[in-house]
Amino acid sequence: MSVATPSASSPEATSPTVPAATASNEPQGAATMDQFVMQYLQSRGHESAAKAVAEAIGAGELPSSTLSVEELLKKIAVFADKSGTSSENTYKEAMKIVQELAASGTTHNIKSVIMNIGPEGAEDVLALNPDDKREGFRELEAWVEGSLDMYRPEFRPILYPVFCHFYLDLVQLGFKDAAQGFFDAFSPSIEAHHSQSFAWLTSIRLPHHVQSDLQAQRLRNEKYIIQISRSGFDLLVGWLTEGVGGEAAGLGDGFSGEQGKRGRAAVMRVINNHLKFIAAPSNVSSSDVSWEESTGLLTSLIPQASKTAPLTNPNAFNARGGELKLGPLPMSEDLRAETEKALREQALGDPSIQLDPNVLRPNLPPNVIAPEVVDLPPHPSTFKTMDIQREVEKVRDARKGIRLDPSSSNIAARLPSICAYTLHDVPEGSPCCAFSPDTSLMAAGFEESYIRLWSLKGEPLNGMKSDFQVKPIRDSSSLGKIRERNGSPTRKLIGHSGPVYSVCFDPMNGSAAPPRYLLSSSVDATARLWSLDTMTNVVAYRGHQNPVWDTDWSPMGIYFATASRDRTARLWSTDRVNSLRIYAGHLSDVDCVKFHPNSLYLATGSSDRTARLWDVQKGSSVRVFIGHQGVVSTLAFSPDGQYLATAGEDLAINLWDLGSGKRIKKMTGHVASIYSLAFSAESSLLVSGGADWTVRCWDVKGAGGLLEKSHTNGMVNGTGSKNHVGERQEKNETGDLLATFPTKRTPIIKAHFTPRNLCLVAGPYQAPGGK
Amino acid sequence: MPTGKQKAAKASASGLYKAESVKDVAESLNIPSLPDHIASALASDVEYRIYQVVEEAARFMRHARRTTMTTADVDNALRVLNIEPLYGHSGHNNPTFRRALPFSHLPSSGTVYFVEDEEIDFDRVLKEEKLQLPPGVRWTAHWLAVEGVQPLVPENPPAVPREDTAGPSTRTNGAGVPVRAQQQNALVKQVLSRELQLYYSRLTAALLPPAPDPAKRSAALASLRNDAGLQALLPYIVRWVGEGVVGALKEGAQSDVDGRTLEVLLDVIAALLDNASLFVEPYLHQLLPPILSVLLHSTLPYAHSARLRRHAAATLSRILTQYSTTYPSLAPRIMKTLLLALLSPDKARGTRDGAVRGLVGVGKDAVRRGLVDAGGARVVGEDLMPGEDGGLGDAVVDALRTLCPQSARPMPVDAGSELDARLREVMGEYFADRLAGDRDWAAAILGEA
Repeated sequence: MSVATPSASSPEATSPTVPAATASNEPQGAATMDQFVMQYLQSRGHESAAKAVAEAIGAGELPSSTLSVEELLKKIAVFADKSGTSSENTYKEAMKIVQELAASGTTHNIKSVIMNIGPEGAEDVLALNPDDKREGFRELEAWVEGSLDMYRPEFRPILYPVFCHFYLDLVQLGFKDAAQGFFDAFSPSIEAHHSQSFAWLTSIRLPHHVQSDLQAQRLRNEKYIIQISRSGFDLLVGWLTEGVGGEAAGLGDGFSGEQGKRGRAAVMRVINNHLKFIAAPSNVSSSDVSWEESTGLLTSLIPQASKTAPLTNPNAFNARGGELKLGPLPMSEDLRAETEKALREQALGDPSIQLDPNVLRPNLPPNVIAPEVVDLPPHPSTFKTMDIQREVEKVRDARKGIRLDPSSSNIAARLPSICAYTLHDVPEGSPCCAFSPDTSLMAAGFEESYIRLWSLKGEPLNGMKSDFQVKPIRDSSSLGKIRERNGSPTRKLIGHSGPVYSVCFDPMNGSAAPPRYLLSSSVDATARLWSLDTMTNVVAYRGHQNPVWDTDWSPMGIYFATASRDRTARLWSTDRVNSLRIYAGHLSDVDCVKFHPNSLYLATGSSDRTARLWDVQKGSSVRVFIGHQGVVSTLAFSPDGQYLATAGEDLAINLWDLGSGKRIKKMTGHVASIYSLAFSAESSLLVSGGADWTVRCWDVKGAGGLLEKSHTNGMVNGTGSKNHVGERQEKNETGDLLATFPTKRTPIIKAHFTPRNLCLVAGPYQAPGGK
Repeated sequence: MPTGKQKAAKASASGLYKAESVKDVAESLNIPSLPDHIASALASDVEYRIYQVVEEAARFMRHARRTTMTTADVDNALRVLNIEPLYGHSGHNNPTFRRALPFSHLPSSGTVYFVEDEEIDFDRVLKEEKLQLPPGVRWTAHWLAVEGVQPLVPENPPAVPREDTAGPSTRTNGAGVPVRAQQQNALVKQVLSRELQLYYSRLTAALLPPAPDPAKRSAALASLRNDAGLQALLPYIVRWVGEGVVGALKEGAQSDVDGRTLEVLLDVIAALLDNASLFVEPYLHQLLPPILSVLLHSTLPYAHSARLRRHAAATLSRILTQYSTTYPSLAPRIMKTLLLALLSPDKARGTRDGAVRGLVGVGKDAVRRGLVDAGGARVVGEDLMPGEDGGLGDAVVDALRTLCPQSARPMPVDAGSELDARLREVMGEYFADRLAGDRDWAAAILGEA
């Protein structure tokens, strides 16, 4: 639904209303760049050069006339600011010039500008008076807050874009003081819902900031989409045109008078130009977080197909993405036969083992498509002994693992046992930490550019001697001779030239044997592969132009993905130094990356506050998850492949259904950044750790929703849900928070479930009193 | 020239970075008179650029899993923004700013700050204690939670008592135990109501012998046995019982009154154990001493002694059967006390008698361990004159009977046989004589079926 004509003038006429703002912002295709050049030259006083450029691009009068209109209007605006009340003569003069220009000008833009200025134009120019915006916003806010409870959640999202546009308008027109005043007056009420979006706005203070700031340009050039119900929309239109409607009885009759009208017109202009309303399902207000998914500058966040009309609803895109193959990782028939044989042999040796013949053919839940071997990225067709051992071990782990079920009545079965690994004496902080799948090794990357490896079993980590002859090495025993002796159970891996932001052990050996490779990524724009046989760096993968924030191995090894500040994620295979695929589409840094358990898909989380799911092979985005109000800092797939959990700087954890791309629920309770998420093997329990020095357990299947009362987690652990600052817990914990386990002063940078369902967490201890 | 009012407005508009700072910088660059509007515009722009850098630095901070921004973050941000980083600033030595003394001859110059540059005295540095190199990063592991419960180990933060324990927590607990535990928690802060205080004083008055009315006493005991809602009083009653027993025994416990007092107190304990709505377990450690004192005290009033000891033994046995599952160390602890009383030399007969009865109360295994395996019977037998009857001797024989009933048609042990020798060795002369009449029984007691 597009905005119906709310005002007396027709929408065609009003659409490019705010003259200065629109004219300078209207993207004029290829001419934009030229225009910038012209503007620059002119601003520097190189009139002749500007002329030359203009002639060179063969559109002599056109851009220059456009510019003069802009500049003129800007001058008028500044004048209006200075004089306070407008002097009619000046305006009339200005109008005359504008009309003359209009006579000569031919572009559509100028025409429309002039048309607007026409009879009502003077009023529009008057409307540049900053007080109108202030007045208009005050009235809008009063109207929204005064509206009926059932409409208020629908109306509230309107405030933020109107606020931003007003502020930018004021800045762009040079009313710096007015902009500041406007911001000071109204930011507190907006901040409650959009605290994350505010910092960028305050910094914009000069017109050219508006031009250069990406966020501001997005706001200017894209439609801000708001879901609103039909009746709510009618009320809004009624209020904009008549000044009444929607508010509860007794709250006065809207705003009237000349100034009120002008303020309303200012609101209407923004709504016409920059907002797009789409029909909401009958009742938006059912939950107060649903607006997050369908509000904002969505058009650029949602990947657009080239020909079709722009999508404004993430659900529409997700529906178009087609069905996903979310079944478990397929296994080749040969490997399965061999593994079954090995399992049978084991079962013969130990009569206590009940061998389930279908253990390797898991039952699929309905509506889940299992991928075939051919769907996977290419892997060697043969398998090794280690593969069989891994699969056998997987079966054993499943049999021996702890079973966790949050819905069970038995307390012991509801919550996991958590073992905390605390790093001491970390000088600068440890950005990342990882546990090997067999829990024999722990690695941590440090800001001092090195990686430290520990054997959790206390075994020595021996590399190879560097001085040896290749010739005498014939078999494994002679290879063992060149192995170092008397190693210590910890080892430093040096190679990066900047803080190491992620480390990841290769999953190929599963829990059957220690991993052979380690992957790391760093600010030096490389990802590095380390051999744990030789304890040396084997490959440096260069390709990203910017810091690499995150890496993850494919669940079958060989392939891995990286996420970088250059707004791309890339797929690599260990044996090539060039990337195989580039996943581009995010509007900002890709902060985290994770493979789906069946390695067909890849999830990325980004600073543009969205997460996406990519088809690994095709390189195309198949799902987009919109709803976070902050940077998506970490994510995790459930082992059953059905869900994705993402955590953001808005301190919320969102749970998404991969199949439909819809948000299942929002889980809140953390009071500082969330650094790591991990699902239990049954996918029924989610563990999160963060900068608030706590580990929290969440019920994946349970109903969420904020609790009315301050929530105590119901466990008799006596720890309570206190955060470290000792404040009373805010009432932002959702009902599915099962338990909170505080540590003394350890931010949890990694949460990890072993194959046997024991939870391991790690973090550096922060000594009190400074660093 | 802007008027003062306009100037004030400008200052408020220019945000965090003031136009004055720009002017100061301009002056340091030898641009003495920078127009106000240029300074203000520059200040705004500087603020915008600072914001850009800080936003970029914040990404590095976030990815470094920190909540404080360091100079390294800013350096990295500058690098990716293609700006030469500011060298020479590290997080390890923060520059400190000092305020200069105001210039008296130039009051317009305002406050001047400068970076402190400490002079380092070489001699002093050399004499100073050498710094130890940090040991390097190491890790420790501990249990943050075991099956959902946070153990109270030193690595974990101390538990914080919660304000509203009773309300929402009962909601989640299906099992009974946690609810009981929460009642306990609630007790801590509970103030005894007036009614309960009154009840307590009436109860204690009705129970003790000075109030001779047996009807009243039995009513009080019945109330203790059946009434719900006495949980709050439990600690007080338990303490009262303990003090009562100590008081009665301290005075030598020869009088009849003392005997009756002890009987009543034992009745009270039994009644408390009977009451299904009371949660006695946390008070066991306070209840056991009175019981054991009564059981093992050397001199009880003669008329009451056998009854008291039997009663105490029965109560002990009740506690054991009721709580040994939830409190597995209970039985061993009681056993230890009883064995000590039974076996150590120079114990009064009464004590030994009580110990034997106690062992019977603990169970068959305890009797075998105490009397046979540990040689309790032999020790007791040495105290008794051959041929002496009744009292202690009978108690031991009774205890032995619980091990194995006497045979219907007793056959005497053949004197001089292997069994006889063993019997004398294990049980001592006195009891060997008493057991010699029944061969099968003796064999069974010795464990030689």
